[in-house]
Amino acid sequence: MAHIEEHKETQSIQKEKQNYVMLDFGKTPEYGLPAFIQVVRRSLSIELLKGLGVTFREMINALFRGKMHTTKYPFEKLPIAPRYRAIHEMLRLLESGHYRCIGCGLCEKICISNCIAMETKYDENQRKEVSEYTINFGRCIFCGYCAEVCPELAIVHGGRYETASEQRAGFSLFEDMLTPIDKLKEQKEFAGFGSISSNADENIKKTPLAY
Amino acid sequence: MSVQKIEKNFITITIDGKECIGKNGDTILKIARANGIYIPTMCYLTKVEPIASCRMCVVEVDGIEGMILSCQEKAVEGAVVTTNSKELHNQRQNIMKLYNVNHPLECGVCDKSGECDLQNKTLEFNVSNQNFSIKESHKKVENWGYVSYDPALCIMCEKCVRVSNEITGNEALSVSVGGYKSKIVNIKNSNCSSLGESAAVCPVGALVNSDFKYSSNAWELKQVPASCMHCSSACSLNYEVKNDKIYRVTNNYEFSSLCGLGRFGFDFENKNAKKDPVVFREAISAFKRAKSIRFSAVITNEEALILQKLKEKYKYNLVCDEAYGYQRFLNAYSSISGASLYSGDLSSIKDSDGIIVFGTRVNDDNPMVKYHITMASKRKRARVAYFHPIEDSNLSNVITQFVKYEAGSEEGVVALLASVLLNNHKISDDLKSFLDNLDIGNLSAESSVGEEELDYLVKSIDKKQKLTFIVGSDLYNHPRTVQIAKILGAIEKYSDFSLVIVPPATNALGVSLICSLDEKTEGYTIGYNAIGDFELSSLGYGDMDMPALNQQEGTLTNIDKRVVPTNAALSYQGYVLNDISNELGFEAKYTIDYTSMLPVKAGYKTEDFDNLPDFFDNSGIEHRGYPLTSESVKVVENFDEIEDLPTYDGAIIYHCNENTNISVFSNVTTAFKSNEFYLRGSPQFANIVKIKDGDDIKFNINGIKYQRVFKIDEGMKGTIAINPIFDMDLNKNQNISYRFNHLHREQ
Repeated sequence: MAHIEEHKETQSIQKEKQNYVMLDFGKTPEYGLPAFIQVVRRSLSIELLKGLGVTFREMINALFRGKMHTTKYPFEKLPIAPRYRAIHEMLRLLESGHYRCIGCGLCEKICISNCIAMETKYDENQRKEVSEYTINFGRCIFCGYCAEVCPELAIVHGGRYETASEQRAGFSLFEDMLTPIDKLKEQKEFAGFGSISSNADENIKKTPLAY
Repeated sequence: MSVQKIEKNFITITIDGKECIGKNGDTILKIARANGIYIPTMCYLTKVEPIASCRMCVVEVDGIEGMILSCQEKAVEGAVVTTNSKELHNQRQNIMKLYNVNHPLECGVCDKSGECDLQNKTLEFNVSNQNFSIKESHKKVENWGYVSYDPALCIMCEKCVRVSNEITGNEALSVSVGGYKSKIVNIKNSNCSSLGESAAVCPVGALVNSDFKYSSNAWELKQVPASCMHCSSACSLNYEVKNDKIYRVTNNYEFSSLCGLGRFGFDFENKNAKKDPVVFREAISAFKRAKSIRFSAVITNEEALILQKLKEKYKYNLVCDEAYGYQRFLNAYSSISGASLYSGDLSSIKDSDGIIVFGTRVNDDNPMVKYHITMASKRKRARVAYFHPIEDSNLSNVITQFVKYEAGSEEGVVALLASVLLNNHKISDDLKSFLDNLDIGNLSAESSVGEEELDYLVKSIDKKQKLTFIVGSDLYNHPRTVQIAKILGAIEKYSDFSLVIVPPATNALGVSLICSLDEKTEGYTIGYNAIGDFELSSLGYGDMDMPALNQQEGTLTNIDKRVVPTNAALSYQGYVLNDISNELGFEAKYTIDYTSMLPVKAGYKTEDFDNLPDFFDNSGIEHRGYPLTSESVKVVENFDEIEDLPTYDGAIIYHCNENTNISVFSNVTTAFKSNEFYLRGSPQFANIVKIKDGDDIKFNINGIKYQRVFKIDEGMKGTIAINPIFDMDLNKNQNISYRFNHLHREQ
């Protein structure tokens, strides 16, 4: 019982602490003449010019001081958050420029809409080479599982969100999604969905390195 | 007496509180496995002798201190065995930790991931941290043709080495010992396809098939159990399929083996076959018009039965060149031995300690027979006498006596063998008078098989327990084939030898038992995978498409006289033979409806296809289909006198395909496709024919023209050259003629 009473007490304390103030808007006119007088008074006071002044100031700012707030959409885009999940990108290793994908096939397996298809083979350098890689963007639901499961942070979600096309099935090939080799320097270490956490280093367990 | 014998043969031991019965002389591990008790192993492979390199199979036996290796310790009557305890678990966990030292963490891309023994046992023994370490060294990946070897992944279990020594017999692999730097080395620099057999047993991803490597994960593939269609061994295998494509072939490597051809030659399917009603109507009218059907013995039992039924109804001449001689041979053999089937099989070859191989270039004609001879040689120290006109360097490590005879003198050789092998046996009067009348001196001179060679043979197999006589394709189309078969029948009947009459093509035995064959075609001929006026072809270049054997289900009759099932691995959209026979007045929904109608008189059972088992049990016993029953046949003992042996002087051509290109079907596979047909001969052959290495040579045998490139094979001797005949155009007449022929050059 004791704790219920205690609860009630705290409730009443909270009620006392509430400090609402009723604003005085005056009385709303109830019939013709006072209402008419109110309209005339408000129309002829300077308050109207104050409002127009704000508009005029912003117009000057936008036109002459370069402080435009409108984004001219197809020509201009707003920056999006790193965790946004749009069209995939294939990243390269920053050091060597070789693509990061090791062909493990986990993205293909985890894909819940079965839109990733890949083929791999044994290449001359005795590496596993990705010979075919496509994503069907007509089926992709951008769930992000592929990026999350990727052990190499090779497939990530980029910022290209415009996926409208003339037909449903729109395919992207590996080469389309891969960072162009001349833009390798612009490739940033990915911070978005599926990337390692900022405290990842602390979570690493050391393996014995006695030699 | 029998009770005592049983007591001697079987022992009872207790494993983990369960009473287990096993054969006397069996190891603890073998008895445990046969009784369904699990003992973990890394290096143990049932089909080879225990390797004992992993020490995972340790068990505790009451009254004995320390741990015992169950894989090599023979069980003793009444022993009480514990397979699991805390100490054993710690021991095994430590072994797994040691295996994991520096093992590359590349499971994500490794082929073996998902079916890897190291992965499984690391998880099973809960290896969560590692307390051992060693400095890693660089290890280079090596490519050995069909397989490639990654020493960094290798755990040195030595299974592959054992398989290459004990089963395939090419002895290419060996262990280079050096502690942590130990690795497997290919001492012969072999790139032979039989290395695939070594790759199959690799528990990790160290030795893998080069063509399959990195192409698919193991768990995505659907396994379709089937029988290999390349030769008459019809080995059990699994086609592993994804997206209507065969990615690889696997087998139950614990108990069975596959040759290189079976493992890598899997894509012989008939692609792009479609149902075309116009062609179908043409086929029906062709069948109505035809007087003969010629077919290849690469066919299922069911299809053979359909053809036989068509023959009975429409009075066709049924011709199968590959099986005709074999059927005649088998009948002649039965007329003496009194049994419809020969007594031996592959496992009896394996268990033999005395083997005679006669009339077959066995390594090329049937690789599985060679594997089993190798097993007998390595395990039983079998004496292997190889009788053939050409020495085979591939067999040199298993053969204890090579006897060279003159081509064409097989009748004389078999008579000589009968006279020495039946010497001290009780035989019938007819046979006795036949053997007494032999002019041994003359036969020996004509065939060039010396009497001292025969004496040596008899001495060497004296006191041997289990003897096997293997005969093959040279004899089935020999001009004196009936006489040879009869003498062989007598040898089997009156001596301790069991006989294996190796079928010359995949289902030659089945065809000989199911069909009544005619010698020659007449009139309008339908060809089924053979030359004809209207051709049905599984290879896709006839008048009408038929499914290849990896696209249809049915049964095959193999060398073990066993009816084995095979299943369709790939889809097929065209017509099958059953559609034609349904149109011609028979009624069966599927081809496999004929499985239960196979002739009981020939030893088949009235078993439905769907009821045929297809597995190996825990103790390794094969449950695939069912064995044929050998029927008794009326014995008529009469032997002709030996005629003068034909002489084959000068340059001789021997028809023989290499073991990787055994038939037209192997020649369409990616792994073994070849457009080069070499006539291989010794430098001596080149001398007498006056030809150089690389020269073109044209010759004519029985009306068939051959054009070959000559190649000198330094390993060969004598004046006989080997001519491969696996190209389709020449297939028409190949097996109806004796395999040795004079060389008639055309300019």
